[in-house]
Amino acid sequence: MDEIRLLLVDDEEDFIRALSERLHMRDLAGQTAFSGEQALEFVSEEEPDVMVLDILMPGMDGMEVLRRVRSMYPQIQVIIHTGHGNDLDEVEAWNLGVFDYLKKPVDIDLLVERIKAAYLNKSE
Amino acid sequence: MISGDAAALPGHVLRASLMKMYTATIKKEALETGSRVSYYTRQKLLFILLMTLVSVIPLAGISYFSFSYYKNSWIDKTSAELASLADSRTEIIEQFLASQNNQLQTLVDLNSPEYLGQQANLEKIFNSINRSGVITDLGLIDQSGVHRAYVGPFAQQLADKNYAQADWFLEVIRNGDFTSDIFTGYRGIPHFVIAIADPARDSVLRATVNSDMFNSLLAEAEVGPGGDAYILNRAGELQTPSRLGSPEMPGGDLAAGSPALYHTDDFIYAATSLRNGEWNLVLKEDINSSLAEFYSARNKAIVLIGLAVVLIITVATLLSSSLIDRIKEADQQRRQLNNRMQDVEKMALIGRLASSVSHEINNPLQIIESQAGWIGELLEDEKEGRVGDIGEYQDAVTKIRAHVRRARDITHRLLGFSKTGAEAPTEARINNLVRETVSFLKDDAEDNRIAIVSDLQKDMPLLVTYPSQLQQVFLNIMKNAIDAIGQDGTINIRTRTTSDDGANIEFADTGPGLGEGVQDRIFDSFFTTKQGRNTGLGLSISYNIIQRLGGDIEAKNREQGGSVFTITLPSGIGKNYLE
Repeated sequence: MDEIRLLLVDDEEDFIRALSERLHMRDLAGQTAFSGEQALEFVSEEEPDVMVLDILMPGMDGMEVLRRVRSMYPQIQVIIHTGHGNDLDEVEAWNLGVFDYLKKPVDIDLLVERIKAAYLNKSE
Repeated sequence: MISGDAAALPGHVLRASLMKMYTATIKKEALETGSRVSYYTRQKLLFILLMTLVSVIPLAGISYFSFSYYKNSWIDKTSAELASLADSRTEIIEQFLASQNNQLQTLVDLNSPEYLGQQANLEKIFNSINRSGVITDLGLIDQSGVHRAYVGPFAQQLADKNYAQADWFLEVIRNGDFTSDIFTGYRGIPHFVIAIADPARDSVLRATVNSDMFNSLLAEAEVGPGGDAYILNRAGELQTPSRLGSPEMPGGDLAAGSPALYHTDDFIYAATSLRNGEWNLVLKEDINSSLAEFYSARNKAIVLIGLAVVLIITVATLLSSSLIDRIKEADQQRRQLNNRMQDVEKMALIGRLASSVSHEINNPLQIIESQAGWIGELLEDEKEGRVGDIGEYQDAVTKIRAHVRRARDITHRLLGFSKTGAEAPTEARINNLVRETVSFLKDDAEDNRIAIVSDLQKDMPLLVTYPSQLQQVFLNIMKNAIDAIGQDGTINIRTRTTSDDGANIEFADTGPGLGEGVQDRIFDSFFTTKQGRNTGLGLSISYNIIQRLGGDIEAKNREQGGSVFTITLPSGIGKNYLE
């Protein structure tokens, strides 16, 4: 499998660091961003294959990031990973064309599996 | 729905507070119901009383006035009749008296006492004037009070009688003539005496006149049953028989020729004076026995009125019962609607609370999970024996992860609970949602004299959406409109299909419209123009809901005043979600 370019976006730094380490152990090298703004900045520099995105963040929230990414970089596969279970968010996210919508807390193996699937989806 | 999900929640706090909310509601309801029952009973009684009074008072009033009017007019009429009757009788009697008097006066004027003193002459005169039989006897008495001649049935008894000292004799010598009161003679026939002296006052012509015709004259007076007609002298003694035997003289001055009218509660009197006040003719009518027919008619009418009153009370009772029952039913429906509306709002609020609480918990849970996983993975990499009791550590990590999963199940279930109504988007009829929302607020609007006018396009397409969320939006906007209008106004609701099979819903109100700066901020959280009455969240929540449903909402001022909220919805949402 080619190297998957992965971007993890979440405002919980502790969590994102631990997640990043663990993914690394599973041969998934991920970049990290701690806010919506940071994520967009990152994307504009280097377009990732897969993006794992939290919704509720201070500043620009995940839904706004999603809207922009979907309109500007439709190739990026986005997996929503959120603690917020709002139906309407989910509906809108699906409407915007996310690859998956996962609710925290998610088992690491499931996350890895979905990231890989997303990558395969993009390659097709 | 609540109890099922709430029971599955170990969140004691949430459950307890839910319970508290419901118990509080029940207690209040129960209390209100108690006072309402007596309220309806009171209203019913008041209604019956009012209806009865309103119909019975005029009925009784009309009856009373018509009865008393009839009675008074009868008394007036009868008095007039009695007066004219008294007049005519008085005239006849006076004429009779005058003619008798004149006849004797003529005899005295034309014949000398000597001529009249001859028995044969007197007999001749008696026979010629007594063809009618009115005069019983005729006698000439000389100065000494002794009969000089006598024609009549009592010749024997009167032969030696001397009238010299009799009152009537003295009076006739003094005044020239005399008329006596009426007395009953030997044969039980009423008589009176007329005596005329000759111009020289040395002899008196005396005639006994049968006054039987007075009696028949009075008996002919058509006084009703219980009425009476009689003649009294100055001393109040009867000159004619009285039918009732209780003759009395009515009070008041009695002028000759103009009958004096007088009435008590029971009788009407008409009285005239005869013989310059020597006698009085009294006609008497009994009010009660004359009005007997009227009274019996009146009694029948009273019975009929009584029946009518009973009927009125019955109808009033039935009518007000059904009316109050209908009001009660309407109140009940209104309360049910109100409760349902409150439930919708309450559930929406609880949903939002639950959703934000689970979100706040899910984030730390995710960190705990991933940190524990991280520890587990590190432990796996440790060389055998470098960490003492490694099994214990691994066991602890497994337990931590297991309990994180347990906590996750709870928060996910809580999130499921927050989805009010439909779990998934369903097909919804916009017009039905609008109608139902209008029914929630109809009473509130009516109380403030606000008309809700709906113009709903008939063939609106089915929309795939979240009906309860959408309804929440309609509710918020309409409540906002009612608050904006305050009192007296109109809310116009209009639904139309858009070009791409979506829906366009307009809520226009006749309120004051959006002030400067309001239009830009109206959908901001906590923005409110209704300080202290409102959280300022309603429209912001509505905005979010519509955005998420893939639609659009905007607020503008109308040219003719007031504001208009326009919602545009796509034909379907969450197509991926549904697949």
